[in-house]
Amino acid sequence: MAENNFTSTKEYVASQELMASVNVAIALRKPLLIKGEPGTGKTMLAEAVAQSLGKRLIIWNIKSTTKAQDGLYMYDTIQRLYDGQFGEEGVDDIARYIKLGKLGEAFDSEEQVVLLIDEIDKADLEFPNDLLWELDQMEFYIHETKRTVKAKHRPIVIITSNAEKELPDAFLRRCIFHYIAFPDAALMEEIVRVHYPAIEEHLLQNAMAAFYDIRSMRDIRKKPSTSELIDWVNALQIGGIPADRIRQDLPFIGVVVKKDEDLETVKHRAD
Amino acid sequence: MFQKFFDVCKAKGLKITLSEWLTLQEALDKGLAGSSLTEFYYLARMILVKSEVEFDKYDMAFEECFKGIQSENALTSQMLRWLNKEEMNEMLQIEEKQWLNQLEEIKVDKEDVEQKFKDRLKDQDSEHNGGSFWIGTMGKTSFGNTGGNIGGVRVGGQTGYQSAFAVIGDRKFRDFRDDRVLDNRQFQQALRRLRQFSTRLDIPRTELDIDGTIDKTCNNGGCLQIVMEKPRKNAVKLLLLMDSGGTMIPYTRLLNELFQSVNKSNHYKDVKVYYFHNCIYSHVYKTPECENGDWIETEWLFRNLDSDYKVIVVGDAAMAPEELYSTTGNYRGPNGGLTGMEWLLLLKKHYKKIVWMNPKMAPGRAPWREAETAIKEVFPMYKLTVDGLNQAMTVLMTQAK
Repeated sequence: MAENNFTSTKEYVASQELMASVNVAIALRKPLLIKGEPGTGKTMLAEAVAQSLGKRLIIWNIKSTTKAQDGLYMYDTIQRLYDGQFGEEGVDDIARYIKLGKLGEAFDSEEQVVLLIDEIDKADLEFPNDLLWELDQMEFYIHETKRTVKAKHRPIVIITSNAEKELPDAFLRRCIFHYIAFPDAALMEEIVRVHYPAIEEHLLQNAMAAFYDIRSMRDIRKKPSTSELIDWVNALQIGGIPADRIRQDLPFIGVVVKKDEDLETVKHRAD
Repeated sequence: MFQKFFDVCKAKGLKITLSEWLTLQEALDKGLAGSSLTEFYYLARMILVKSEVEFDKYDMAFEECFKGIQSENALTSQMLRWLNKEEMNEMLQIEEKQWLNQLEEIKVDKEDVEQKFKDRLKDQDSEHNGGSFWIGTMGKTSFGNTGGNIGGVRVGGQTGYQSAFAVIGDRKFRDFRDDRVLDNRQFQQALRRLRQFSTRLDIPRTELDIDGTIDKTCNNGGCLQIVMEKPRKNAVKLLLLMDSGGTMIPYTRLLNELFQSVNKSNHYKDVKVYYFHNCIYSHVYKTPECENGDWIETEWLFRNLDSDYKVIVVGDAAMAPEELYSTTGNYRGPNGGLTGMEWLLLLKKHYKKIVWMNPKMAPGRAPWREAETAIKEVFPMYKLTVDGLNQAMTVLMTQAK
């Protein structure tokens, strides 16, 4: 475990529990499932893990149309057909037309990699079930070439979910689960400082106070997240806004609050 | 190891399987929990619990096992379950008042408790670093009982963890419990079972038809000719008939959830929603207010929505027998010359697939609810819960006999 031990990086502040989850997942060789509010740094975690362990990161972005097969391999039949028509070299070699997907790439890599399966809940309900075998056994079979792709080094798999859909039980059973809670003020301060080490104290305090004010308003529909606070702080710095005006005037508030209704609410409160 | 913990987790309603339990044993074997109870708390949680909505149950199980406490906490969760049952509204009010009184009493000494907790914590910081079990036993006295928020008690020291029992004491995850907050995502998920793929729809040809392409290409003397086809789309059409007003008022929120879920499920070919009061007669209403005049004829419905529509009727089937069996039984509008029962039979005759969802269905046979029993004979009836909806969807999807 000593060689594969994840700690916070310069850019990413992880809570103790999160670090423990990552390390347990690595030790038990199971995928780590990360859930949490949008903007709590789920995707960034994988980057931080890869960086911290000095491993390559492979990202598989899931979309609503993604199928499990896409992650394994693609057989480019049309290309082969066209090549066949024009008498290209090597058409009889099917392997030339097999293109590995992200999961296949991670298995086939010569060294251990970090594989991020991002926003798995975007895909069809059955999608996670289709990957059970592959994630368990870390291998799959290519029918066309009769080749089994087996992970040379078991990748560290990190899966994120926005909880848009419930994930199937069979899939959940195989994962280590971590829920990223919204950071409290102290952790938040640490996070902002990691991004802007030279930030002026007064400005940070005021911006944070205003930010938590907005989050605590009951009728806010979309609560602003960490990444929005970071953007806002950046905007305030660039704009050179005097710190004492922040809470009163809420400059550049559009960076933090995105919905029209919420803007109204916030403005109404500020008056 | 910790067999009792496993049993208690199960008893608290956590769905833990053997394989997950073995994973935990493996983790313990590898020494991943160190020898600290707090680390064990997090380790077991990340392996056994797969959703933040279950964290609260886990906390309670953990507390019970490692502190030997049963107390108001159990009462609280029971209370929450009461809160969720519309049928118990009246009873709840009485209970609630008592509970509030109780709460106030607790509040009085809460500050005291909090202070004690902090003092102890300060005194015993070193011992926590060593083992951290100590905080657990300490919390036993009054800390667990309140189940309230001794918020932000961050226990420092070597591990940097928040103490397991501080987390439990906070009951941070109480709001996530799913038996309290009804999540319409589950409804949506159940509704997604209604899928029937078809290519006979009027949409652009965007997918490659491999067989067709091979045929054409062969006919073309080997020169590639690509054929496209229509993608498969869901062909399910849904007709939702909802009982509105009167005895259904306590279920407004539940019906709202269902309605939202149906609306959000945009994968159907068509969704139609109409309302009725108690039973279906010659007219169904366009709005839940069921204003006379703002309606369409039920026969128009039969003519225009063909028999392929899958019908979900939502209602409590609670009505007087004459509302079902008399030709003048409809006390709010016209009967149309037929009894309510005859209208229901017409509905059954016209549509191939109908289910009746009942938010307060009596379990088994309930002869004292005459109308409900009679309607059960006509339509398959399920309770309006996530489970019931799942069963109903299965019925809607299976082939007609």
